[in-house]
Amino acid sequence: MCGIVGYIGERQAQPILLTSLGKLEYRGYDSCGIAVAAGNIKVHKDAGRVGELTKVIPQLGGTVGIGHTRWATHGEPSQVNAHPHLDCSGRIAVVHNGIINNFLLLKQQLIAEGHNFVSETDTEIIPHLIEKYYDGDLGKAVETALCDVEGSYAIIVLAAGESKLVVARKDSPLIIGLGDRENFIASDVPAILDYTNRVIYLEDGDVGVITLDSIKIRQEGVEVAREEHKILWSAEEAQKGGYEHFMLKEIHEQPKVIRNTIGEYVSAAEPVADLAIMADTNLEGMLILACGTSYHAALVGKYIVEDLVGILVRAELASEFNYYPQTLAGTGAIVITQSGETADTLKAMKRLKGVGCRVIAITNVVGSSASRIADHTVYTRAGPEISVAATKSFMAQLMALYWLALSYSRIDTRRLDSLTMGLRQLPSKVQQVLDNGDRIKECAKYLSRYENAFFTGRGISFPVALEGALKLKEISYIHAEGYAAGELKHGPFALLDKNTPVIAIVAQDNTYEAMLTNIKEVKARGSPVVALAEEGNETIRELADSVITVPPVDAIFSPVVNTVALQLLAYYTAKQRGCPIDFPRNLAKSVTVE
Amino acid sequence: MKQAIILAAGEGQRLRPFTVAKPKAMLSVADKPILQYMVESLAQNGIRNIVLVVGYRREQIFDYMGSGEQFGVDLTYVTQERQSGTAQALAQAKAVAEKEFLVLPGDNLIAADTIAHFLTMKPEAVLVKRVDNPSRYGVVTIDKGVVKGIEEKPKEATSNVVSTGIYAFSKQIFNFIESELDIPDALNKMIAQGKRLNARQTDGTWLDVVYPWDILTLNDALLRQIQANLGGTIEADASVRGLVSVGKDTVIRSNSYIVGPVVIGEGCDIGPSVCILPATSIGNNVVISPFSDIKNSVIGNDVNIGPGCIIQDSVIDKGCIINGHFTACSSQTEVKVDDEHHLVNVGAMLGEGCNLGNSVVAQPGVIVGNYSQVQPLKLISGRLPDRSLVF
Repeated sequence: MCGIVGYIGERQAQPILLTSLGKLEYRGYDSCGIAVAAGNIKVHKDAGRVGELTKVIPQLGGTVGIGHTRWATHGEPSQVNAHPHLDCSGRIAVVHNGIINNFLLLKQQLIAEGHNFVSETDTEIIPHLIEKYYDGDLGKAVETALCDVEGSYAIIVLAAGESKLVVARKDSPLIIGLGDRENFIASDVPAILDYTNRVIYLEDGDVGVITLDSIKIRQEGVEVAREEHKILWSAEEAQKGGYEHFMLKEIHEQPKVIRNTIGEYVSAAEPVADLAIMADTNLEGMLILACGTSYHAALVGKYIVEDLVGILVRAELASEFNYYPQTLAGTGAIVITQSGETADTLKAMKRLKGVGCRVIAITNVVGSSASRIADHTVYTRAGPEISVAATKSFMAQLMALYWLALSYSRIDTRRLDSLTMGLRQLPSKVQQVLDNGDRIKECAKYLSRYENAFFTGRGISFPVALEGALKLKEISYIHAEGYAAGELKHGPFALLDKNTPVIAIVAQDNTYEAMLTNIKEVKARGSPVVALAEEGNETIRELADSVITVPPVDAIFSPVVNTVALQLLAYYTAKQRGCPIDFPRNLAKSVTVE
Repeated sequence: MKQAIILAAGEGQRLRPFTVAKPKAMLSVADKPILQYMVESLAQNGIRNIVLVVGYRREQIFDYMGSGEQFGVDLTYVTQERQSGTAQALAQAKAVAEKEFLVLPGDNLIAADTIAHFLTMKPEAVLVKRVDNPSRYGVVTIDKGVVKGIEEKPKEATSNVVSTGIYAFSKQIFNFIESELDIPDALNKMIAQGKRLNARQTDGTWLDVVYPWDILTLNDALLRQIQANLGGTIEADASVRGLVSVGKDTVIRSNSYIVGPVVIGEGCDIGPSVCILPATSIGNNVVISPFSDIKNSVIGNDVNIGPGCIIQDSVIDKGCIINGHFTACSSQTEVKVDDEHHLVNVGAMLGEGCNLGNSVVAQPGVIVGNYSQVQPLKLISGRLPDRSLVF
């Protein structure tokens, strides 16, 4: 998984490539490099982040170039493995995001034909293949070369003496930003927002030849037209605006994200999407698939849909679902992916489509791969999320699920009215949690001293416990486990002592009494307890060592306020421990490999 | 002069409950925070390098203002950790200040042309204005355009010319402010040392918010300047007259009657048969149920107003749930803030997140603290602290 960029125009390419790469670091940042053509091709690359490269790089003059920021899959992060990669002559340079499955075979063939390889990467076979087929028509050579390749790729090809870039994509994202006598290419929109908001999304199998004033896209040798999109985010939204970290900024954006999402879903006169799948009265069961934080949204979604729509829901990890022998042909499915590019989720979607399932995608990225595979797409309005730890996108996913379930609910009018009003109140309730940041900061200070923690909840609070634990472990490096409160006694009790705090999420619903019992059990084993509970709950105050209060909401909305409190808890704990919050070690934002 | 330093770290204690969760500069008037008007006035005068001194509840400013790009300016934030006066606030900006700069309060309203008029002044200079109630402010003694002294909130004002808190300074001001708490003290010290402080008097718009009901005055003044813009959906049979702005995704349902100046935010659900009269501001994501009648009021985001309510000269902060038949009629009344009594025409002032049961009646001038809960059929009056329970 990597980020790639390209520029062709009348300006110096180098500063534009480096700026754009900086914006793509959320996709990976263990090594990076650029290549610029002016007569011949000059490459500069190394292990390390874009900021480090920018400091040491010499001026590579030229108005056409490509760049790459890498997250290692084949070969360790190093200068030789960093992109761009060259052919034998050094006249063709390639940046690549994806995985070439048959690269060992191709590499052996190419070596037998006399090509010299310098790196361990799968990518390096691409420039050599292009070199093999290049006879003056770069576009043709790329098309022919890609016929030999099996796997996923988004590539940008630069050749000496050519005033063009050639791009291609299959199962990895790639967009073209349209300028005035200049064009930009990138893995994702934020990279180019400083320069343009007019964007073309490439489709799988597209090969494009791009000059400073023309774009020709071919699909299986036939020229095709691709629609131009206007991006409504501003580049400003991709900056920090006063906050120390993107994560805190994004946590604080949640009231606005909820308000925008509700505004669009609830008030809009036109339906946001035609969701006949949900309205099907024969629908008896449904699948919700996702990975990572989105999977926790899927688990909350199971409770929401089962409660409000009254159908059986299976929430599954997309990465595991791909290995299940049965697929439930003919059912409805919802898939949730922030980036719309998560490889495991896309693979599951294709499998479901293959057996005739109707699929709704919930994604944050317009025109992403998931939206193109799905029958219908519900877009979340979270805006670009830079922090690796997902916060506002998770919230927007919950809103999409609430809205879907409420729109097709089979509950009585009284409850529907009360929930609709409750939904509209959520932005203010979340703001109230944010305003309570100082109290949460105190609890974080306390939590930061420990190396292990358990998060527990029951019912709809169980996925919240999972999400709270995930947030804590990914940014503070404290080992945290989310556990169903009733399951603690089946093993984890052995781990409880005064050095292992338990964060208990107490919802005011039918799980309340059982949670109180669980807290007492935990206390009896000597573990400190931090409880998340509704304001005014005095019983909890007596039981727990420390209490974080959240404003009262209907139990079905409790994941919203509780998750925000746990996001802040994780954030301030990580800050207390001095962790690099926005870019935790070994993690990248969207995972486009299986 | 190409730089402005805006002091937006203040809390605004007399404006409670509205300033418990947000700084005074973020009070919403005509659907925008006061600070935004200031930033826009500066941008109109070509001043795009703006330093915001923030402190109290600064996240609210970050969340709204961001990097400033949305408003066509470049924002730099500096933090005043302790709220210890305007001079100390300004001192925080020393490292980022240019040779000459404007200093402005983030919680006052100044029109763009008032700033333009002042921009021609050379530092050090202060903008002054003649007002009716000088003892609220710093009274300035002026002799032939030169300031002789500033007296803060005098019991007996010697003139009615007061400082607007808007200054043109050069970097030498930092020599005088280090040991002082407030800017007027620093200026008196500077004058005593023989330095010249010029005064320019303005007749332009300069409005200040000191007490909760001042929000209504400011709202009235600002609504007259809004751009009419009908977004969202306005159903047939709804009447919209005068200067009215409706945000996207808002629905105005049949038989509603709206007379401007009125601004309604995004994602609201209004009506059917709701009457909204001048000069009313309604935030985003607000629901107003049938047969409610609202005039000269400010309603925050996410508020839910039940059927048959009468709301006059009132301020209702965000996230309140008001059930049916709430009555907040306005009349002249005496309101006590900080042991001072004020005679004002006002309805009800509700802090954020309040929950009012059916048929609650508000006595004119009632101030209800944040997150208070009132049972049905109650009469509320006087001043209720935050999280009050009325039953």
